[in-house]
Amino acid sequence: MIRTHSISKVFNAGRPNEFTALHEISLDIQLGEITVLKGPSGSGKTTLLGLLGCMARPTTGRIFLKEREITSLPERFLTGIRRSTFGFIFQQFNLIRGISALENVMVPAYPNGEKFAQLRKRAMDTMEVFNLVNRADAKIEWLSGGEAQRVAIARALINNPTVIIADEPTAHLDTKLSHEFMSIMQELNANGTTIILASHDPIVYDSSQINRIIEMRDGRVVHEESRS
Amino acid sequence: MILHPNILALFISSVLICLMTLYATYHGAVILRRWDISSGSELQLSLERRTYLISTILSYFLGFQLVSMFLFVQTADSICHLFVGAMCAVGTLTANKFGYPTLLLKMLSFILAGLWLILNHADNQGYDYPLIRPKYILLLILAPFLLAETVVQGIYFAGLQPDIITSCCGSLFSQASRGIASEIIALPSNPMKIIFYSCIAAVMTAGTRLYMNGRGGYLFAGVCGLTFVVSIVSIISFISLYFYEMPSHHCPFCILQKEYGYVGYPLYVLLFSGVVSGLGVGILQPFRRKESLMDVLPAIQRKLAALSVASFFIFSLIVTWRIAFSSFKLEGY
Amino acid sequence: MSKRIERQRQIIDFTLAALMRRKGKNGALLLVYALVIFVLASVLFCTHALRREADLVLKSAPEIVLQRILTGRNQPVPIAWADKVRHINGVISVQPRLWGYQYDTVYRANYTLMVPLENPPVLGTIDIGSGISKIQGASSGDNIAFTGHDGQPRLFVIRNILDNESQLLTNDLILLSEKDYRDFSGIPTDQATDFVLRVRNPKEYSTIAEKLVRMFPDSRPIIRTEIQRTYDAVFNWRSGLLIVIFSAAALAFIIFAWDKATGLSAEERKEMGILKAVGWETSDILLMKFWEGTAISLTAFLVGVILAYFHIFFASAALFAPVLKGWSTLYPTFRLTPFLDFGQLATLFFLTVVPYTISTIIPSWRAATIDPDAVMR
Repeated sequence: MIRTHSISKVFNAGRPNEFTALHEISLDIQLGEITVLKGPSGSGKTTLLGLLGCMARPTTGRIFLKEREITSLPERFLTGIRRSTFGFIFQQFNLIRGISALENVMVPAYPNGEKFAQLRKRAMDTMEVFNLVNRADAKIEWLSGGEAQRVAIARALINNPTVIIADEPTAHLDTKLSHEFMSIMQELNANGTTIILASHDPIVYDSSQINRIIEMRDGRVVHEESRS
Repeated sequence: MILHPNILALFISSVLICLMTLYATYHGAVILRRWDISSGSELQLSLERRTYLISTILSYFLGFQLVSMFLFVQTADSICHLFVGAMCAVGTLTANKFGYPTLLLKMLSFILAGLWLILNHADNQGYDYPLIRPKYILLLILAPFLLAETVVQGIYFAGLQPDIITSCCGSLFSQASRGIASEIIALPSNPMKIIFYSCIAAVMTAGTRLYMNGRGGYLFAGVCGLTFVVSIVSIISFISLYFYEMPSHHCPFCILQKEYGYVGYPLYVLLFSGVVSGLGVGILQPFRRKESLMDVLPAIQRKLAALSVASFFIFSLIVTWRIAFSSFKLEGY
Repeated sequence: MSKRIERQRQIIDFTLAALMRRKGKNGALLLVYALVIFVLASVLFCTHALRREADLVLKSAPEIVLQRILTGRNQPVPIAWADKVRHINGVISVQPRLWGYQYDTVYRANYTLMVPLENPPVLGTIDIGSGISKIQGASSGDNIAFTGHDGQPRLFVIRNILDNESQLLTNDLILLSEKDYRDFSGIPTDQATDFVLRVRNPKEYSTIAEKLVRMFPDSRPIIRTEIQRTYDAVFNWRSGLLIVIFSAAALAFIIFAWDKATGLSAEERKEMGILKAVGWETSDILLMKFWEGTAISLTAFLVGVILAYFHIFFASAALFAPVLKGWSTLYPTFRLTPFLDFGQLATLFFLTVVPYTISTIIPSWRAATIDPDAVMR
């Protein structure tokens, strides 16, 4: 379980453009479920995702990952935990231009020092699952939208994460690809991966397999809903 | 001042490196004052980021200082003939009373920087930056030594006046006897041999004990420090004689020359690696009880001890090899 | 341990690939960097080699030369001095030497004329250096005329052309017999240009020199070691001067490097943000930057040093010769003997790689501590 205890995030503290993105959020996210953060842009979804995924530290409050407090961990340990526990899928995919799809998938694992041949095999296996084998050596710029999306997902999976975090994953996708995305997420969840999504797309939050919806507005949780 | 390229290089790089390290020290002082691991504020985050900067600077410093030490000696050796009576680096270093202090300060800053990096490495293994305070206090101690080294080196070089003909009508034979000691004081060799080998044996025993059951950290560090000093004295006293095959040539710097197969470099590198890792064990010893380090510190200390023992052992191996197989016999000196 | 090595390897691979992706920007930097190292290395190699040549030449110079000074200028020495000098304790031998300069108005060259102590040419013949032979178009067996001290030309037959090997010493040299030289130069029979002394014990040089001065107050003994040191100092001074002047250019390079390192393009910034976002730590990115700097420095260093080596030792320092050798119309075209040592390389390292590295430390660190959060937005 990921538990947040009264976390706040303030940007530019003490300066004229001080901005509070999150106000004392206390949440429990169950592992093994699909959770969706719903809300308009500016509601703090992205910030909350960043905090949950150990990408940033809250200004105040504590976060517990599987009963271990991670808030006061120095950045270097936080990154290590993040790398092994979380896989991120960004709104803009954020794939590295100039290198191939396969390399993009392998990049998050370089700091682990795994044997290259082994890493490559694992990456190819993941890409096979997503039908990307024949595009493995293609540069990112040459991939179609759907292919890029799947590369992004494959990259998020390379370190065998417990949790997948996706921020507005369907924002740049058409309906067909959006549905495809959701079905991939559901399949991953069926295998035990926790999924946390932030979206204001109905295709996402109306999907049948969602376990929980957390509605946010202006940095606060306004509504929580559990399904099945 | 002698406008020799090597001297210029040493001078310029020394100043640059000193500035860099002072900059790092300034940040270190800020960290000492404002560090608060439990706060998630932006200041704390920026302080954490700054620790990376400081450790990067000091890592580079260590590498540069090692080269600088050897270049300093090499330069002293190559300009020795500019001074009447100087036969090698020893002569150049005694031309002016700041010569040896510069070298000693260089060695000291190198060792301190090495120790700092060991502390830093250990600190990084603990999840709550347990050694932040001791680390930056050490940095504050290191900084004045480094500053002193740059200043003293500058004074030394500025004060070097070569004995050259400065006028077309003049000559200067009358300045012949400057009183440069081209001989270096050496201790008698037989007692030194005993002391040297005893120290090596002590290092190996203490090191093995530490490796096996993790005890005797301070003892080991002390023994390593002592062995370092004894080794250098031994080089002057008898080891160099076997390399030069001359009973009166005690110079510790000439073994760095090509004629002797550059054997001085591995010898000194081994000594430095031995003393830094040995002292490193000692400097980590007080922190074994810290919660976040309890699991990792013994392992780090063991590795350091192994490195130290290996270094001193290989050093003594090279020396013994030379003594055993040299056709030079040093009896009764 | 192998994990660490593997990690380094993969990060190095990634870094090198990243460098290749930005060939333009990195290429410009590399070019300037290599150029800086090339110039600096050339200066260092050239002066060092010249210094060594001078050293070798001076090794065979006389231990003590005794000259006479009148009104602050060199005058011939009376040969009668030799007897008294011979009796100084420690002096093995005293030999008078005859030599001098002659300016040739036609070819605008300075010649050195000398009576060799061994195997002098017979009356009427001379040996000339290769430089003279070249400019006058003369060879063995030819007749050649030189104008003497009284304005009258004297004809000589050329016996030998002095060989190329010793060009530094003999390029502008004319060897002739004693009688011919005295006639040519007008130096009286009871005088010589100077004396050459051989001494038993090098430690006695200064004592003997002191005695000489006391014996003949208008004499000037010059000890070989003094000459060696003075030459050395001159070479040091000249190369040091070049380096100081050149440091302005080096400074410009450092500023350029710093600017390049700070001015990360949006693309680079994004790439680093992505790396941090997918799980690279600050230390991983710092490592990447370290390898980047190392790759560039190493390449520039190798290219610069190798080119400088060729420049000095195979092209005879074409670009620097005038500054370092001095002026004369008779340049010996000797090849400098290649010589490389740790000291030179370390000096180069400290003058180029160290300032470059230091200038990139802070920009690299700034790049490495990019907030991964920023990428999310």
